[in-house]
Amino acid sequence: MTPANEHIVKSFDSELARLNREIERMGNLALSQLDAAISALNKRDLAAADRVVAGDNDLDQMERDVAHDALKLLALRQPMARDLREVYAALRVSADIERIGDYASNIAKRSKVLSAEDPMRVTAGMIPLAQMAQQLLADALRAFRERDDQMAITVRARDVELDALYTTLFRGLLTYMAEDTRKLTACTQLMFLGKDVERIGDHATNICESVWFLVHGKPIAERREKADRTAE
Amino acid sequence: MTEPVIPKTEKVVAAAGAKLSARNLSFYYQQARAIDNVSFDVAERKITALIGPSGCGKSTLLRIFNRIYSVYPGQRAEGEVMLDGENILAPGYSLNRLRSKVGMVFQKPVPFPMSIFDNISYGIGHYEKLGRAEMTDRVEQALRQAALWDEVKDKLKHSALGLSGGQQQRLCIARAVALKPEVILFDEPTSALDPIATGKIEQLFAELKQQFTILIVTHNMQQAARCSDYTAFMYLGELVEFGETETIFTKPTKQQTEDYITGRFG
Repeated sequence: MTPANEHIVKSFDSELARLNREIERMGNLALSQLDAAISALNKRDLAAADRVVAGDNDLDQMERDVAHDALKLLALRQPMARDLREVYAALRVSADIERIGDYASNIAKRSKVLSAEDPMRVTAGMIPLAQMAQQLLADALRAFRERDDQMAITVRARDVELDALYTTLFRGLLTYMAEDTRKLTACTQLMFLGKDVERIGDHATNICESVWFLVHGKPIAERREKADRTAE
Repeated sequence: MTEPVIPKTEKVVAAAGAKLSARNLSFYYQQARAIDNVSFDVAERKITALIGPSGCGKSTLLRIFNRIYSVYPGQRAEGEVMLDGENILAPGYSLNRLRSKVGMVFQKPVPFPMSIFDNISYGIGHYEKLGRAEMTDRVEQALRQAALWDEVKDKLKHSALGLSGGQQQRLCIARAVALKPEVILFDEPTSALDPIATGKIEQLFAELKQQFTILIVTHNMQQAARCSDYTAFMYLGELVEFGETETIFTKPTKQQTEDYITGRFG
């Protein structure tokens, strides 16, 4: 018996490859949605924000496609061992990406409210936070694409930096709101926007955990450090 | 007196409460070695599945466990098979005693060309002298254990050959359990059955393991995954991997096992 990477039934391989292609496309779309949302916020571009909101439907449809293909694969192939984990991970990761898309859409919606108000200096603070989340997501997706468990664990550990920056911005916002109560509406939107970004980081870590499970067949043993101190 | 044989423990995986243990077991058809130094334990009142491609030696292993091979010239086993601590391959171990302890159910149901009742009572009569009433009870008990009673209770005098394939297989299971064995060997027991009959047999496994130690050879990977507590993967006469079924089918440790169960074999 020679160790073989391919299934005897070739269509099994093409179905698994298709599942991975779909997730790759989802990931790319989520990244560009997030990028466009950040840009809309930064440039106060209402039309761009609308395009992000509309684009979320595509991600939702893609997730349904992944779920459909994964269920079909489970029913027809009864995958075992690594194959089973592949399908399981595909379902989980696609759900995480879909959720990230929702947050990108939220960011775009909130950017419209913010763009309708006078510019605030605190808005600019959200840009590096969002870019950090975007990089985390990009790296988590790469770890998934390459089935790189070590990269996954490193990326997962980096979420703590996002949490820390979020906490700092949150506190800054509180101060800003206390100084000028006319900004309450805009600042509240900004606060939620920050939370949306922070949640993207959490879903990126979920993707990393799926990568680890896919490779090892068991969850990551290490506990993840958390630095979102906004509820303390 | 010779010194007791201390098995090489390299491949031994002790399951909790071993009923049947192969120790450095090898088997030869003439000069051809079909089993190569296999050691593992079959846990008491658990279901152990033997999987592997055709020709890997899994059916041969079953043939050793009840010494069917010994009636064929040129076939011989080396090593030990311990049943409750006694080597069943030892010349002094009576075949009759072994047969009463180890039952077997084959791939194709082979009912005797006689009535349903007689199919069950025939074997019992070889071991025990029972009165009519006692025998009737034993037959009913065996048919109930094989989940066949309700379907055949009104036609016990009918020929067993008139039963469906699935019923015939359950009759064979009833025939095996009627002798009150301790171990039952199943050699691909559902490969000739439709999905409904297969489901009934699988349901039966779960009930039979309350009382019997069960060893199943199966080509149906999902069946092994569904029904068994432990799984042994064999290839080319060697035991490649043995472990808890959940581990074998979710995260096997050997690449060969992974390739086989995921259909990447060869």
